[in-house]
Amino acid sequence: MASLLQPNRVVYLVRGEKNIIAPLSQLYFCRYCSELRSLECVSHEVDSHYCPSCLENMPSAEAKLKKNRCANCFDCPCCMHTLSTRATNIPAPVPDDPTKTTMKKAYYLACGFCRWTSRDVGMADKSVASGGWQEPENPHAQRIGKLIEYYQQLAHREKQERDRKKLTRRRQCMPLAFSEKYGLGTRLQRQRPGAPLSNLAGLSLKEGEDQKEISIEPAQALDEVEPLPEDFYTRPVSLPEVTTLRQRLLQPDFQPAGASQLHPRHKHLLMKRSLRCRKCEHNLSKPEFNPTSIKFKIQLVAVSYIPEVRIMSIPNLRYMKESQVLLTLTNPVENITHVSLAACEEDDPDDINRTAQVILVPNTQLVLAGKDAAAEYDELAEPQDFQDDPDVVAFRKSNKIGFFIKVIPQKEEDTDVTVAFKMRHDFRNLAAPVRPSDEGGDAAAEAIWLTHHVELRLGPLAP
Amino acid sequence: MSDAKQTIAQKSAKIAAGAVVCVESEIRGDVTIGARTVVHPKARIIAEAGPIIIGEGNLIEEQALIINSYPENILPDADGAEPKAMTIGTNNVFEVGCVSQALKIGDNNVIESKADLGRNVILTSGCIIGACCQINTCEVVPENTVVYGSNSMRRTQSEKPQPQTLQLDFLMKILPNYHHVKKTVKGSGAPLRN
Repeated sequence: MASLLQPNRVVYLVRGEKNIIAPLSQLYFCRYCSELRSLECVSHEVDSHYCPSCLENMPSAEAKLKKNRCANCFDCPCCMHTLSTRATNIPAPVPDDPTKTTMKKAYYLACGFCRWTSRDVGMADKSVASGGWQEPENPHAQRIGKLIEYYQQLAHREKQERDRKKLTRRRQCMPLAFSEKYGLGTRLQRQRPGAPLSNLAGLSLKEGEDQKEISIEPAQALDEVEPLPEDFYTRPVSLPEVTTLRQRLLQPDFQPAGASQLHPRHKHLLMKRSLRCRKCEHNLSKPEFNPTSIKFKIQLVAVSYIPEVRIMSIPNLRYMKESQVLLTLTNPVENITHVSLAACEEDDPDDINRTAQVILVPNTQLVLAGKDAAAEYDELAEPQDFQDDPDVVAFRKSNKIGFFIKVIPQKEEDTDVTVAFKMRHDFRNLAAPVRPSDEGGDAAAEAIWLTHHVELRLGPLAP
Repeated sequence: MSDAKQTIAQKSAKIAAGAVVCVESEIRGDVTIGARTVVHPKARIIAEAGPIIIGEGNLIEEQALIINSYPENILPDADGAEPKAMTIGTNNVFEVGCVSQALKIGDNNVIESKADLGRNVILTSGCIIGACCQINTCEVVPENTVVYGSNSMRRTQSEKPQPQTLQLDFLMKILPNYHHVKKTVKGSGAPLRN
């Protein structure tokens, strides 16, 4: 059954600042700390910006100038799909002779999903295929610009005062190390939650410029509000003409209430991010710079280091009756891995979701063969002989092994029988520098034993 | 169309000259197909509970199902089950895999892939029913309506969809090269190759 392979059936526990439970495919493994990491215990950093439809790369400074929007691509204001440019032939008068007409190409934007066209809002067809489309101007743009300038200046002044104070205490050779452009990048700045307006500080005037004083007039509160039109309560609402909330809020500048004022906006840029372990500051995931490439320069995902448990078949589970569940263990690394399973102790603080008891044969050690990519082509290789206990091991296939566990459901009306156990396996850290051994023998990397808490969701009791 | 005096309904389809109907399509019951209509192979037009009259210039793609069936709670032999005719206008497009049971369809409509129309819907003209959208309410869909999205949202568009004349011409030339075509009634002007 495909539902047994759903990712949230087998979850692993990550011990970080808070305990997080997630399937192995969503976790990362820091091989310097030798611990599992989830998305919440790593720091996310922006790598590059790109447009999802034209896949154009953009450096961060340019992205900020263009407000994180692509210059060429548009979004349909109605259904948020990407707009495509279509051409029609229209007769247009030849400039020399007004009586004759020649076919000229006119371009308009159209959405393939909801069939919205730029002619619906009254935008004229353009004669250029790209670059002719303008976004409407925000009526408050001037006021907002002035406010931003004023606050930038204020932030710059505060930053300078702060740096001056720090400089008097520290050595001269670290002048502007604190004034990072993005404010919250390094650990030092992150641990100061009270730092005011440090985000804007880097964007402002350069050091040598004269700082002219910008003053702003405060906003004026109005007493009278525009009254509603008289037929507001009596006029029937024509639903196709009213915008939905989502359409309205995607354009916070205007928030048009009528569908005839929905103008297309430039497409939002997406970003590629890299992940960094918070304890050892090593990169866990670093994608390639090119937006067309999906590969990674550094990819320390948990699936390629930790053996993965999957559910293969579940018999009918009955209350207080012992049933045998078939699980598989896959070895992702190329050397032989030894795995031993242990049931959770009675007072285990991690063990809160369990609704069924697991009985595992004590002291069994399962041996997993290494992943050998060339094994299927190598006909002369002899199959390795592992002495398998037939009560525990069901089958063995290259780097995979199927084994049984016995489950006794403890709750009478259980919609989701949950089982937990501890998996202990050896991990050879190939990243750490190998110390030259004195005997001159094989310098195999030291094996350390890692223990993971695994929870399985086996589904409801049989009726 | 069946005469009032005939008790046996017409068995084979009446295909006008100029229509291209592939042999692999399944046409059952009393079906009339107008000129310049193209019916792809594996399309199914089934007239169980009454005749189906299809106009001109329509494009019925593969695995489309146009069915005039009995409503679910009425048995075929019960009294009062009058055969209602299903009429389909001109220049409609029934894309791949759509199911249409609507009794009245106007002109210039596009029913996209895997759309589902119930029996009590009446499409006027210029409507576009988006992919995988289901309409099983009892209503008349106004002109130039577009139904789209997973929640079958609606909006009105400003102009009707373009008729697929280029596509129809192309298909009428190419399809007979690769498929056998059903014979048309009334002496054909279009060349048939068996």
